Amino acid sequence: MVQNPPLKKEILMPKILKAFIGSYGLVFVILIFCIPVTIIRPVFWSWGNLSNILVQMTVIGVLTMGQVFVLISGGGGIDLSVGSTLAFSAILGAGLIRNSGFPVWAGLLVTLLTGIAVGAFNGLIITKIKISPLITTLAVQTAVRGLVMIYTGGADVTNMPRAYTDIVSKGIGSISWSVVITFAIFFITMVILRYTRYGRELYAVGGNEYAANVSGINVTKIRIAAYTACGLLASVAGIITTARLYTAGPRAGTGMELTAISAAVIGGTSLAGGKGYVSGAVLGVIFLQIIDNTTNLMAIPAAYVSALKGAIILGAAILDRIRSSDKFK
Amino acid sequence: MAKEVILEVSDVGKSFPGVNALENISIQFHKGEVHALLGENGAGKSTLMKILAGIHTPDSGTIRLRGKEVFFNKPKQSMEAGIGMVHQELCLCPHQTAAENVYMGRSPVNKFGFFDWKKLNADAQQIFAQLDMDVRPSDVVGNLSIAKQQMIEIAKAASMNASIIILDEPTSSVTEEERLALFNMIRRLKEKDVAIIYISHRMEEILEIADCFTILRDGHFIVTKPVEGITIDEIITGMVGRTLTYVEHEQSSGQDEPVMEAKGLTRRGVFENISFNVRKGEVLGLAGLVGAGRSEVARCIFGLDKMDSGAIWINGRECSIHSPRSAINYGVGFVTEDRKMDGSVLEMSVQENITLPILKTICKAGFINKTRDHLIARQAIENYGVKTPSPKQKVVNLSGGNQQKVIIAKWLTTNPKVLILDEPTRGIDVGAKNEIYKMINELTAKGLAVIMISSEMPEILRMSDRVIVMREGKITAEIPKKDATQDTIMRFAIQ
Repeated sequence: MVQNPPLKKEILMPKILKAFIGSYGLVFVILIFCIPVTIIRPVFWSWGNLSNILVQMTVIGVLTMGQVFVLISGGGGIDLSVGSTLAFSAILGAGLIRNSGFPVWAGLLVTLLTGIAVGAFNGLIITKIKISPLITTLAVQTAVRGLVMIYTGGADVTNMPRAYTDIVSKGIGSISWSVVITFAIFFITMVILRYTRYGRELYAVGGNEYAANVSGINVTKIRIAAYTACGLLASVAGIITTARLYTAGPRAGTGMELTAISAAVIGGTSLAGGKGYVSGAVLGVIFLQIIDNTTNLMAIPAAYVSALKGAIILGAAILDRIRSSDKFK
Repeated sequence: MAKEVILEVSDVGKSFPGVNALENISIQFHKGEVHALLGENGAGKSTLMKILAGIHTPDSGTIRLRGKEVFFNKPKQSMEAGIGMVHQELCLCPHQTAAENVYMGRSPVNKFGFFDWKKLNADAQQIFAQLDMDVRPSDVVGNLSIAKQQMIEIAKAASMNASIIILDEPTSSVTEEERLALFNMIRRLKEKDVAIIYISHRMEEILEIADCFTILRDGHFIVTKPVEGITIDEIITGMVGRTLTYVEHEQSSGQDEPVMEAKGLTRRGVFENISFNVRKGEVLGLAGLVGAGRSEVARCIFGLDKMDSGAIWINGRECSIHSPRSAINYGVGFVTEDRKMDGSVLEMSVQENITLPILKTICKAGFINKTRDHLIARQAIENYGVKTPSPKQKVVNLSGGNQQKVIIAKWLTTNPKVLILDEPTRGIDVGAKNEIYKMINELTAKGLAVIMISSEMPEILRMSDRVIVMREGKITAEIPKKDATQDTIMRFAIQ
């Protein structure tokens, strides 16, 4: 008989810490990346600039959490529709507030429900009719963007009321509510993935859907929930975007789905499913934001930045490949 | 044995970080002979084969091919030297034809430099005919059975004029008929003076097809002997290094009340009117050829597939099972046939796999009680003798036998009344098999009812209290243990 080590009582706190520093390799890369900007433009480290980075990373941060759910759920899980969902849900709510006299809270509720509806629709098509997530969400991306254009006629909904924009302009001390909300979402996502039955079952479904099914897990339900969460988070990102710009625009969120997927992948979430961490994904978001911010401070032309980002995403994927290869073990 | 030596391995050694995988192995392989390579999992068989196939390079020793020393750095060199390896996991392109696969990367071209379909198909046809294969060059590989795909792999090696062909567990997932066809093909290759190195866990097959065998144990050479006059017991003793007698199953009284009754189960086109019962503490063996519909019946009982008619009664009450979840709730557990495909989530830990079906019971408001999670897993690991350094170890890092124990442990934590085991010892080495048998005995002693599907006749005979034989979706016989012999079962399975 095997002798097992005595049972250790596990404490919650260090584990959370561990989860956050789990991908310290990425922390290291980020710090190295900050060296040139520290020398050339020390203003990078000012509170003003850092809080700016925090506010700017909120939208992508929230969208990335959605992708983490969907990517972990496996079966080719990916959601390309979030950029359109962001615009659609935000503009529906904003339009009701500005044009139909809805109170702000009701408008926000409509926005969130719209996000949930689009996400659940994705999930239903993908699981029940078994269309690949790539095709489904690509189609929904195109169609929903069309709906936005039909609804607005291409015009912005401007002059959002104070109560709405306070989400970004007010906060706790000098930290904007949008930043607080974003970090709360990071935390909740991490807790769901690590400590709940849903999280455990999500990893199981992504890791091996057949084994999960045989173990009595309702694979369909778990996946629909993942897409629904992703849609909900897209609408939250829509609210933050609108509050920041005082305006809900029909082109908001364009291309953001790919940035969010990149951030998740840089942070070690697997496109094959069953693997992914909030800590890594958040670092991925921070990394992409810092690239934007530092290159901006150093006045590097956008074309170079784009090339650099592409190289970094590829580099992250290659690193992940090396890390998970047999030789490395 | 006046046959010429074609391949000689002398004093070959290989170590990986932390393990000596092979030490001073010396074996001679002869032309036109089937040489079985035996040993438990981890004995070094696959390492040796990978050295011959150029996937690994040896740390020491020499390999002589036709008397000349050779050194392989890459699989391609080994292939060009005339060694063909057919892996257990096949590597064919499923969307292309048999002929294209055989000549993959070596397609004939005509004088204009275009692909020569005619020659390709004619060449392939010739090879298939020589080897007595029932495959057309134009068949799309993905539509063929596993056994036929395997034959295409062998034909591929033969088409390269391989003088040595390595077969790694070629029969692990083929039907009896297909196995016979495969053996026929192997005999054809022998006639062409090809040397075959044959790896299998099925002892009966070794006696049937092999001319001689070599046993490896823990990376050491144990013995090479001709097969003639040897018994399975002698081989097993050599493999495990001690005399190992399989545990026998203690018969249940057969008087206990039935735990589960299947009444007229039918799934159109798959199986028909299947009725049987299984009693407390009993092992009901489900015998038959692969494809007889046994696994399909099990899948229906467990709610994985829908049935068209019939009823399942558990403890005297009719159950409506429509999903694995409901089957689990009624007290049914199912260890599936394909460990890797749907047995466990390989990338998750032992602990997470064990508690997967019972998460609901250890959750409060959706949050997993981590202490209970850990305790239950540790208890199961201890009770069922899973060898793992820690409950946090990923299942993928365990041996096949231990992976199977994790899966059985998972089901036992659900407190089942009936446990269905589908090919519980497939691809598991002799020692681990015995442990699984012991486990089954302990469980039935405690009153669990077990339905065991197995294609290994000795296993059915050894473990079952009663045997039900299925053929083409129907039950053809129910045989009590005292009357069950290989012959009777086979007769009902075939005719």
